[in-house]
Amino acid sequence: MAYPLLKTKLHIPNLRPSLVPRPRLIERLNQGLQAGGKLTLVSAPAGFGKSTLVSEWIAACGRPVAWLSLDERDSDWVRFISYLVAALQTIQEGVGEDFLAALHSPEVPSAEAILTALLNEIATIQGCFALILDDYHVIDSPAVDQALAFIIEYQPQHMHLVIATREDPHLPLARLRARGQLTELRAADLRFTPTEAAEFLTRMMNLPLSEQEVATLDARTEGWIAGLQMAALALQSLALQEHSDNARFIQSFSGSHRFVLDYLMEEVLEHQTSEVQTFLLHTSILERLCGPLCDAVLGSSSARGQEILRDLDRANLFLTPLDNERRWYRYHHLFGDLLRQRLGKSAELPALHLRASRWYEENDDLSAAFHHALAASDFERAASLTETAWQGMERSFQPTAWLGWVQKLPPAVVSSRPWLCVQMGWAYSDVGELEASETSLQAAERALAEMQEMEAFKALPGTVALIRAGNAQIEGNLAETVRYAELSVQLAPEDDRLTRAQAAITLGFTQWAVGKVEASLKAMRTWMDDMQKMGNHMYVIASAFVVADMLVGLGQLGEAEKALQQTIQKAEAFGQEAEVVTAHHHLGLAMLAHERGDDDVVAQRLQTVADLGQHTTLIDWPYRWGLAQARLKKSAGEWEAALKSLDEAQRGYIKNPIPILQPVDAHKARVALKQGRLDMAQAWVRERALSVMDEASYMGEYEYLTLARVRLAERSFEGVGPLLERLLALAETQERTGSVIEILLTQALFYQLQGNQPQALAALKHALTLAEPEGYLRIFVDEGEAMQLLISDFQHLRRAQPLLGYIDRILAYFPQPVNDELQYLHRAQVQVSKIQTPKSRNFVEPLSERELEVLKLLRSELSGPEMAERLIVSLNTLRTHTKNIFNKLGVNNRRAAVRRAEELDLF
Amino acid sequence: MLDKPLPNAPFYEIRLKGHLDSQWASWFDGLTITLEANGDTLLIGPVVDQAALHGLLKKVRDLGMPLVSVVQIQVLDSRQNDLEKEKK
Repeated sequence: MAYPLLKTKLHIPNLRPSLVPRPRLIERLNQGLQAGGKLTLVSAPAGFGKSTLVSEWIAACGRPVAWLSLDERDSDWVRFISYLVAALQTIQEGVGEDFLAALHSPEVPSAEAILTALLNEIATIQGCFALILDDYHVIDSPAVDQALAFIIEYQPQHMHLVIATREDPHLPLARLRARGQLTELRAADLRFTPTEAAEFLTRMMNLPLSEQEVATLDARTEGWIAGLQMAALALQSLALQEHSDNARFIQSFSGSHRFVLDYLMEEVLEHQTSEVQTFLLHTSILERLCGPLCDAVLGSSSARGQEILRDLDRANLFLTPLDNERRWYRYHHLFGDLLRQRLGKSAELPALHLRASRWYEENDDLSAAFHHALAASDFERAASLTETAWQGMERSFQPTAWLGWVQKLPPAVVSSRPWLCVQMGWAYSDVGELEASETSLQAAERALAEMQEMEAFKALPGTVALIRAGNAQIEGNLAETVRYAELSVQLAPEDDRLTRAQAAITLGFTQWAVGKVEASLKAMRTWMDDMQKMGNHMYVIASAFVVADMLVGLGQLGEAEKALQQTIQKAEAFGQEAEVVTAHHHLGLAMLAHERGDDDVVAQRLQTVADLGQHTTLIDWPYRWGLAQARLKKSAGEWEAALKSLDEAQRGYIKNPIPILQPVDAHKARVALKQGRLDMAQAWVRERALSVMDEASYMGEYEYLTLARVRLAERSFEGVGPLLERLLALAETQERTGSVIEILLTQALFYQLQGNQPQALAALKHALTLAEPEGYLRIFVDEGEAMQLLISDFQHLRRAQPLLGYIDRILAYFPQPVNDELQYLHRAQVQVSKIQTPKSRNFVEPLSERELEVLKLLRSELSGPEMAERLIVSLNTLRTHTKNIFNKLGVNNRRAAVRRAEELDLF
Repeated sequence: MLDKPLPNAPFYEIRLKGHLDSQWASWFDGLTITLEANGDTLLIGPVVDQAALHGLLKKVRDLGMPLVSVVQIQVLDSRQNDLEKEKK
């Protein structure tokens, strides 16, 4: 959980025994609930008993209730949604647990995606329930308003929303009213009627008042509940005196023009002991109160805090309990304001805030400690607390909230603290504001130059360089990344192992991105050794999947398998936290088994993964899972399902330093080719502005191999040969055998299509030789019929005895035996060295518009002459069209044509 | 915050129902408090901008005091000086 959630915010306010029953209001609220309305709005100024009414109502409404008391900080909409989910969890445990994790990932998905996910979570809650948002007026954020409007619009039937607020929220109230989905209670409804006032004053508060006196009080306060309550308290404290005179009090009160609460507050305060008066005034600076905190703020050694709070609670004075144990309280907002006004700009104010700040720091609430330090104008202290808070807040991905703290500090204080500036550089980097990051880093360097004592800052230059390396990496500037990462290693002191290790791994990832996989693998292993020595076992375990990825790139499937298996074993020693992370590793093993045609192992690993993946803490899990699913579905020929998985992978992607070697869109273009949707693949090429003339690079390899395939499908071969040669040369130089095999196979298909059988077979032989020791199967089989034909040609020619066993295995793994007819045609063509090759079923020449029209009619029940009539053409013309269609689809009858067209999604 | 109001900050007159003690002046960012015979309170003074004005209105809202009117007013230099003096 990224935010330390205050459970007290989810506490349903306790009913006080002296509550006036308000059946007329309860009745109206119930009607709204039973009529199936979406929203109940209780909108009235302070002190009209909104929260009390709502808590009384829900206690008897017979539905489970989630309660959320809002405060100003909930205007941060991520925080708002987090608390909303926490509130929902009070009625159904575990609801939205995964969702919260996604919310706190470094790159938060779009608001709509989050809200849709939230609504899905809400839909899983069993039975009807109500969600209460109390004090909604403190929210000052269009983002939260919009989020709530979205939730209301798509709110499931079994949820009812209740909002209590001092001002009407920015929600489409008029529309809800018009649709009859809104129940409203406003000030006029909430104020005490004379009867209720009498009930309250004489029965509940036990005051001996005449009917006339009650009427006078009710008139003076205009039924304002806070006013009547204060009047009652004033009368009660008056009653403790020897010569109490209710009549005179009421008379002078009603004769005064003074603001009701101002007048009454003075009356009430005056009758408290000086200890209680001081207590009330001095603790009014606190948002929440508990005994020890009050003692700290008062600076009193008597430790009477909890006792006084209990007494005040019992005397019904100002306090709202925040938990069932009556440990935490808060002042009623209105009375808190009145107390603070009376405290004014007391000379003691800074000292009070400072003591509160210290108490909160000792009790690990850095946020509250920070805010009180600010209120005390102790900016050095506030800045120091900000520095302390950084690590925890960064780890829980809250750089934005942390930057909010920094912005409250005077610039001069910030710029005099080198480490604070460095942390700012880090935070801005985390949120992608690279310019601001650099500005902060420069400020850090300036601040450092001013320092006399250097010991505390010796690790600073290395850290600054490391952040700059990270920024360059985000910008895709490899040269600068390398320069700064090397500088960081050089500058970091010997004992700052974490910085050195991070710089080393940054370098390693950079090398990976340019295809120097051997070198990056070495860096990765060094880093893992360092982490191991520092006792960061989780890092070591998590990193193994990256090592395996690199090994796969190098074509070392066996080594990759070994690395993953060893890590899974190692993880067992570190408990569940480590075990869930191995979802990546099991998935990696599943995919290796898939490549090698070991289907039983695939099924077995995937079963383990399904369970672990739910709990893994690695952020790129949804992405990896989506990609793996897509690969499995592609192998099974389930194109649509593969596309769906690719979309899921894309949506689940969270930015991280692992280079994206196979972009999702390129994967989709390949699926489009398999589906015969050449136009879609071409659209992708245009969008990416790819050209066969471009320079070869490792990062671009998958895209360029995809481009080559698009060109092959178009039969436009120009430039493809040299492109493949360039890619191959780079991969061979960098000894990336995994890449080499795939490029060779693409070359083989390229030559085959051009009718250059000897070159095609040479490329295939090279690929087979490299692939055989590692047992690759899928890489051949997934290429489909064209590859199957080529391999069987190879087998037929018996050119390479040592590979025969392997070839048999590959051919046996194709889903269908070689199509004899096709093979015959193929061989015939090969023998006469025709330029044209048979059309593989994978490549469909696009149909003309007219042909598509005809195709649609073919699907109907119409006869030939009827179709010709419909199209206003001769029967002969229709036959020509039909023949062309059959040719293009590679079929020879009407039914097959329709079936094939359906497969290709041509309708 | 408004100890040194900007010379050109517009003046506002906020009318509330019920009398407030003068000690509320600091609560309302240094506005001058004038009590009317009809029981209304006038808060008068410079308000730097719209955000500050809304902040003030929020304070009124949170006290539950009925708000009667808000007007921007023209203040003659002499009156402004008087107000400044009053505050001291």
